[in-house]
Amino acid sequence: MALKALDIYKLLPKKNCKECGDPTCLTFAMKLAGGKADVDLCPYLDDQAKAMLGASTRPPIRLVRIGFGERLIKVGEENVLYRHEKTFYHPPGIVFKVDDTMSPEEIAAVTRRVRDDTLTRVGTELRFNGIAIENTSGSPEAFANAVAAVEKEQAHLPPILIAKNPAAQSAALVHCGTYRPLLHAATAENFRDMCSLAKQHGCPLVIRSATLDGLVQLVRNCIAEGVQDLVLDPRPATLGEYISRSTAIRQLAITRAVPELGYPVYLDAAGTCCQDAALALGITRYASVIVTRPLMPGPAKAALTLRQNIYTDPQKPIQMTPGLYRVGTPDKNAPVLMTVNFSLTFFTLQGYLESSRIPCYMLIVDTEGLSVLTAVAAGKLNEMLVRDALKKFSVEEEVSHRKMIIPGYASPLSGRIEEATGWKVLVGPRDAAEIGDYLHEEWQKEKAQ
Amino acid sequence: MAYDLSFGWTGTIGDVTLGATKADGGTRSTSYRIGGGTTIPFLEETAPSPTPLIAFEICDNPVLWSPIIKDYCGDLVNNPAEWAKTATNDYKADLIRLHLTSTRARNFTDIGSVGTVVESVLSATGLPLIIEGSNEPKIDSEVFLKCGEAGQGERLLLGTAEAGRYRSIAAAALAFNHSIIAQSPIDINLAKQLNILLREIGVPRDHIVIDPYTGSLGYGFEYSYSAMERIRFSALKGDTDLAMPMICSAADTLTIKEVREADPASIGDVAVAWEFYTGIAAAAAGAEIICIRHPKTIGLLREAFADMKTHPDAAEVQ
Ligand code: B12
Ligand code: SF4
Repeated sequence: MALKALDIYKLLPKKNCKECGDPTCLTFAMKLAGGKADVDLCPYLDDQAKAMLGASTRPPIRLVRIGFGERLIKVGEENVLYRHEKTFYHPPGIVFKVDDTMSPEEIAAVTRRVRDDTLTRVGTELRFNGIAIENTSGSPEAFANAVAAVEKEQAHLPPILIAKNPAAQSAALVHCGTYRPLLHAATAENFRDMCSLAKQHGCPLVIRSATLDGLVQLVRNCIAEGVQDLVLDPRPATLGEYISRSTAIRQLAITRAVPELGYPVYLDAAGTCCQDAALALGITRYASVIVTRPLMPGPAKAALTLRQNIYTDPQKPIQMTPGLYRVGTPDKNAPVLMTVNFSLTFFTLQGYLESSRIPCYMLIVDTEGLSVLTAVAAGKLNEMLVRDALKKFSVEEEVSHRKMIIPGYASPLSGRIEEATGWKVLVGPRDAAEIGDYLHEEWQKEKAQ
Repeated sequence: MAYDLSFGWTGTIGDVTLGATKADGGTRSTSYRIGGGTTIPFLEETAPSPTPLIAFEICDNPVLWSPIIKDYCGDLVNNPAEWAKTATNDYKADLIRLHLTSTRARNFTDIGSVGTVVESVLSATGLPLIIEGSNEPKIDSEVFLKCGEAGQGERLLLGTAEAGRYRSIAAAALAFNHSIIAQSPIDINLAKQLNILLREIGVPRDHIVIDPYTGSLGYGFEYSYSAMERIRFSALKGDTDLAMPMICSAADTLTIKEVREADPASIGDVAVAWEFYTGIAAAAAGAEIICIRHPKTIGLLREAFADMKTHPDAAEVQ
């Protein structure tokens, strides 16, 4: 049952010392009441108060940090079962797996790939997130060497150490213990040793069981051992099992029906029949850490793009601030291209304009984040908007001509824009990919006139 | 211990039958009954809930078809009947979706050829067919009637009805007892409205498949995904005007930047990956017919769907 902010406030130390990151105990209490903070952030709470606040105030799914620094993976703290109810906040970390039976060169190559590969979409850099090292050999020494090979690259990637044997974990932790690796996995057999390693190095711990009961029991055991940063591996043998278990965990967690399940979920995509399907399902269905073999270029981009799609807020399209943007260093004769403020449209057009190597202006009008076709269909792109944007962004002072190129899909508006602005309107191609050719041919002709 | 998931659903997705075998007055070697869902996709406890069907898309004029597919399929793309046969026997699709792209030609008038193409594809494959008719209101009526007539008795799925354009297709479906695809642009309310319009002119619920419009991955899929989930859950909450199975056709997939501009050495794999990720995610969101264009996507989806279908945890979670 949720407590009110004032009830919570009564239980706090009232020192107003700011150590929780909030200015006062009261604001901290308000956050707790909203499920937006964790009781552990206040170092002065006594155990009794903690127990009372406990599960009813912390976010329904605990925030867990893996690794540190720039490449830190932050997962958990999700509030909904369906993204349309609100949004999903923390995209799953996609982690490439190596075995300790691979050569140090192979391991280093995968590590460098995760360190360096980026896909830039819609102005955002998309990357893979970490390296999982599996103790396939069974030898603690080989495991430690493999981890050392990863660390030698100085990539600062969050590591996941996959070994059932605490001795192997312990040997590997010598090399990465201070980088907050995720340990995989505590089971009914080894949880005491795993917990003591996790505590000693302050790292998060995966617990592994094929039943919800087993997970709940292990969560209780690990918490009793003093480890709070947990991740749940429901150990699916099939994709169907993954869907049913991850859905059950998410639902029981967010309704707080079973608070012990309020932790991020781990998915070993490499261990399923179909790695790509597991990745796609992990992304759509609640995985927070997904371990996979290094992906080929096609699936790599598809996976990163799907993750970006599912983790954008469905209520608000990513928007650009309307304005006059420059591509290169345009002069007074440079072309002016009008488009909408949907960021996907902006970045797509900008990319093609850059490769055309013709300096120009992009006039971005406020269609509330709608794409060209969508905005035209919804009546959100109209001549008044264009006229006002020309004025507001002083376009007539920037260029000496009065000619504007509009998107091919906006052609129905061309006459009205001409009337409202007094500018000559040139209808560009529908597909931005053709803008380079268009500028080189049509615009040059137009300029010559 | 059993955990109560309590989603609180009360509704069921209605059934739609695709294709008619001899017993039902057609000539198909298989027919499918889709729908019947009562909860989140793939959480059904009753085993016979069908896995999503994979429809392979072909056309009768490949001018605008993706070069990636033309390269892969070769001369087949110029012969819809042979293409359909190969899709059935070699690619192992569940359904064939024939786009009558020949009707898109300017001033198209050869309505007779439409019937010939449909008949040739029907005799080349025993699979149930989806037929995508014209895109031009002026010839809709004739084209759809011709399709309907050529496929009489076969329980086709005809496409595509939209809010401003549904009468001709509905008339053909009603006259020859076919089902229809009802498409609306990524909006649950528009989907519902269109279904009501169709119902009002007499199209029965069990003859409608919802197409919520699927934007390609990276180009609108984020909206399509949620539109599908919302439609499915409204149906499960009892809205019978949305309680129809859904079809997903991410038709723009092969023309988006990431695929079209991929390294020529791996462009086929990129296309397959893009179709595959979209298909899996759409199935997770509730689509029961997944349309694809690259033959290599079929086997991958089939293997994954089979593995997604089974979950023995029903006793633990109720
Ligand atoms: C995602 C999507 C949505 C999202 C909105 C996404 C957004 N932020 O805009 C949602 C779900 C909200 C939506 C809503 C609607 N949508 Co919508 N939507 C789409 C979808 C699937 C993709 C749009 C997209 O992201 N395109 C990608 C961007 C990059 O494209 P773009 O902006 O057009 O830019 C390209 C070109 O125009 C060109 N370009 C851009 N700028 C410039 C500038 C110059 C100078 C030049 C030369 C070129 C150029 O380059 C780009 C790349 O080639 C399209 C289908 C499609 N394939 O386009 C339907 C689509 C656009 N939607 C449609 C409709 C009807 C609607 C609604 C009106 C439905 C309704 N009645 O509610 C609403 C309107 C919105 C509202 N009232 O709030 C129809 C439009 C029909 C038509 N032909 O007029 C489409 C085509 C779907 C369909 N076939 O039915 N939609
Ligand atoms: S850390 Fe504790 S005592 Fe200090 S301000 Fe925050 S809630 Fe109050």
